[in-house]
Amino acid sequence: MTSLLIRSGRVIDPATKRDEVADVLVRDGQVTEIGPSIRPEGGIRELDASGCMVTPGLVDPHVHLREPGQESKETIATGTASAAAGGFTTVCCMPNTQPALDDPQVLEFVRLKALETAACRVFSVAAATLGRKGEQIAPIGALTRSGAVGFSDDGDVIADARMMRMVMRTCAEHDRVFMQHAQEPTLTEGASMNEGPVASRLGLRGWPAIAEELIVERDVRLAAETGCRYHVQHVSSGGTVEILRKARAAGLPVSGEASPHHLLLTDEACDGYDTNAKMNPPLRTRADMEALRAGVADGTIDILATDHAPHTVSDKSVDFDSAAFGIVGLECALALYEQALVGTGLIDWPRLIALLSIEPARLVGLEQTGIGRLEVGLPADITVIDPNADWTIDPEQFSSKGRNCPFAGWNVNTQVVATILGGDMVHRGARALVEA
Amino acid sequence: MDSLDARDLLGLEGMAAAEIQAILDRARSLKTSCRGDELNGRVVANIFFENSTRTRCSFEVAAVQLGAHPLNLSATGSSAAKGESLVDTANNIEAMGVDALVVRTGASGGAALVAKASGIPVINAGDGRHEHPTQALLDLFVLQERLGSLEGRRVAIVGDILNSRVARSNLHGLLAMGASVVLVGPPTLLDSSFESIHPTGGNATVEVSHDLDGVLEGVDAVMMLRIQRERASGGAISSDYRRLYGLTAQRARRMRPEQLILHPGPVNRGVEMDASVLDDLDKNAVLEQVTAGVLVRKAVLMRAIPV
Repeated sequence: MTSLLIRSGRVIDPATKRDEVADVLVRDGQVTEIGPSIRPEGGIRELDASGCMVTPGLVDPHVHLREPGQESKETIATGTASAAAGGFTTVCCMPNTQPALDDPQVLEFVRLKALETAACRVFSVAAATLGRKGEQIAPIGALTRSGAVGFSDDGDVIADARMMRMVMRTCAEHDRVFMQHAQEPTLTEGASMNEGPVASRLGLRGWPAIAEELIVERDVRLAAETGCRYHVQHVSSGGTVEILRKARAAGLPVSGEASPHHLLLTDEACDGYDTNAKMNPPLRTRADMEALRAGVADGTIDILATDHAPHTVSDKSVDFDSAAFGIVGLECALALYEQALVGTGLIDWPRLIALLSIEPARLVGLEQTGIGRLEVGLPADITVIDPNADWTIDPEQFSSKGRNCPFAGWNVNTQVVATILGGDMVHRGARALVEA
Repeated sequence: MDSLDARDLLGLEGMAAAEIQAILDRARSLKTSCRGDELNGRVVANIFFENSTRTRCSFEVAAVQLGAHPLNLSATGSSAAKGESLVDTANNIEAMGVDALVVRTGASGGAALVAKASGIPVINAGDGRHEHPTQALLDLFVLQERLGSLEGRRVAIVGDILNSRVARSNLHGLLAMGASVVLVGPPTLLDSSFESIHPTGGNATVEVSHDLDGVLEGVDAVMMLRIQRERASGGAISSDYRRLYGLTAQRARRMRPEQLILHPGPVNRGVEMDASVLDDLDKNAVLEQVTAGVLVRKAVLMRAIPV
């Protein structure tokens, strides 16, 4: 394996609170030295990282890779290429594939396919019920032994309280997090955007914030009772942030994640029936968006996740009600998080990196393997980030198969210069000049 | 008026008062002077993905009376109700060389979707819960005939506001013409979000009320909406609907003669309006609305297909 010296970057490792300008030496896939002016013996490739940040490889605990079963939308190869282009070296893929990730054999398929084709590390979040139908609990113990890092019926909620309680008890037994796609389904049937004046004007059925809050409120009680680690996926409502704030203050093992779109867009984006603004859960009001940002600022929300959801053009080029939910997110996520959270002064860069590395790694129990950390002796998963490089988001350039992105044309100023996975450069941005 | 967008009629939201008035004025002039060859040799396709009797017939009569040939295509209940094939169907009809598309669809935003994909004028004949602009135009026409200027007038729209495209188009149209609107309906079918769906300027206001009796006295006209059981799902209409929100004979008796009663039809007799109120043609303008519908649709077709 080749060696690499990353010169003069601002090295940030939130797990050890490192934040200093230093060189990082990578040999045989591992970080072997971090320090000022490293002078290695013999010729070595160098990456000039001056003016850039050198961080742990980013971790996204919530992406949809669509394989197996929906390869026209995305594959493990294209989805992970997209992740690498966005600075991510680890992703957790969701179980709403066809078939669902509810069986050790399907998990094994994903593992082998990733070994063969992936540009980053792939871990499975398995289904908590068979076929994600909410009727029969999945073999959570066996799936855990096959590598599942968490459980979720993502795409659907577990609405049935009895089933939810059984799943939480079982996840607690196997020390795995449960991730809820939170909405009371009787309040969201046939709905396609946030309930409110915009939906009323457009004549679209409203998806109220209370639908999310009701489930989270219930689940927090169940988490307290069962001891299960409970995680709310893509928090969209200010009310949910408040519920989580109180629960965390009470010491309960609960968390929530924020997506770029819920941090930056409101339901006004649905105007003109723009199907690229159709999300599940939906984009909400400015007050919700600001409550979510405030939740990130005060630590209530300590995970960021894209909910990368690629779709084909024809899935989206239909009327709003018929269009698929979701957007692709991996390749512009970092720049958008920066714009929403660092550019606004809510958090600093080391905190943003923590929300994108060690925190999600802890959520899915991967921090012991070195994921989400940048330390000597650990695998060299490293992201080099230029925080002062203007670019315009153009979905046509994405490595993902998906083009469904409401941020097309946005001007942003944070760019991934290089993504290094186990010492290999899996993505190289425009300015990543490597000299021998 | 030359750009294609200006010849589409997708909704009354955002349409200026002068633009609306131009259509109403043309409709009024057609009442006395319609030659019958205004659109000679033109073909107007009526593509209906949802059931309709009066709107489709009205467009058909309007086209015939202008000398155009109506091409009627109904695709209800088929897979063509989906958005994608909606556009495909419209593109196919357009490729045959028709001059305008009149589209009804169950999808909110469906007409705009067709217009975006289409190179000929598109007229929205109702898209889901969104808008039904020709219905509102004919209502405005009747209101102007009876009341004169709508500036400073006050109109109640009563019923299933949540699911009504007629309510939305009328709301935008009335406000544009300077009239204030009171939306009335049960809390299950009307919420406060409707107060802010139209950007308000000027003196015209939108109010939301759940008390028909409290509103009735102070309005110049009342538009009763049809209870749409196909759209109001999940038991939202209670058995006291008529008692609270119906235009009963008793309520009608309390109304002054100059207070106008409208209904877009078809009426559920004894639900939103008592049969005796519907049959009293001095009291309601229901048939006038039907007649005005043809005039307004002629004006809209002529706007879409300039000669």
